[in-house]
Amino acid sequence: MKKQPVPSAATSGKPVLTAGIIWAITYIFSLLVLKELAPERITGVAFSLLPVGAFAYFLFRLTKGISQMDELEVRIHLEATAIAFSLSLMLLMLLGLLDLCVPLNKGDWGYRHLVPYFFLLYLLGMFLSRKKYL
Amino acid sequence: MKNTIKVERAKKDLTQAELAEKIGVSRQAINAIESGKFVPSTVLALKMARLFETSVEIIFQLEDKD
Repeated sequence: MKKQPVPSAATSGKPVLTAGIIWAITYIFSLLVLKELAPERITGVAFSLLPVGAFAYFLFRLTKGISQMDELEVRIHLEATAIAFSLSLMLLMLLGLLDLCVPLNKGDWGYRHLVPYFFLLYLLGMFLSRKKYL
Repeated sequence: MKNTIKVERAKKDLTQAELAEKIGVSRQAINAIESGKFVPSTVLALKMARLFETSVEIIFQLEDKD
C-alpha cells in the first residue's frame, strides 16, 4: 500500500495561525488609526477595508489548511463552526432584543466590540468538539 | 457501531501511531475510531480493510441501536 503523509494539525496549522496573526495585527492597526487619528472619510474607508485583504489571505490559508486535515480534524472544526455560528446568532438576537428595552451603550456593544466574542465562541466550540472526540 | 480494529492491529502487531501513518490520518483519529467516538468515511474504512487484509464488514459491525 502506498504510504501517505500523515496530516498534522501542528504543521498544517502554522500557516493558518500566521495568516490569522497578520489579520489580527492589521485589524488592530486599522482600529488604532481610525480611533486615534480620526482620518478623513476616504482615508478612513481605506483603513477600514485594509483588514479585508488580510482576512481574504487568512481565508485562503484556512481553506488550504482544511484540505490537509484528516477527516476527524475536519469534523472537529465543522462542529466548532456550527456551535460558534449558533451561539453568535443567539448573541446577536439577544443584543437586538435587549436594545429595544434597555438601550445599550454603542461604545460597549458596537459592531467592532462583538468581534472578540465571535472568536471566543469559536474557541468554545473547538473546546466542546475536541472534548467529544479526543 | 462496534469495531475490531484493536484486534486487527494486534494481529498485525501495529500501534495506533503506525496504523495512522499507514492510512494517512492522525493517531488521535485512530484512537477516536477505535473507541467508537468517530465513525470513519467509507474510503478510510476500505483503507483499513485493505491493510488488515480483511473486509469492512469484519472490522465494522452494526449494533442493534444503529
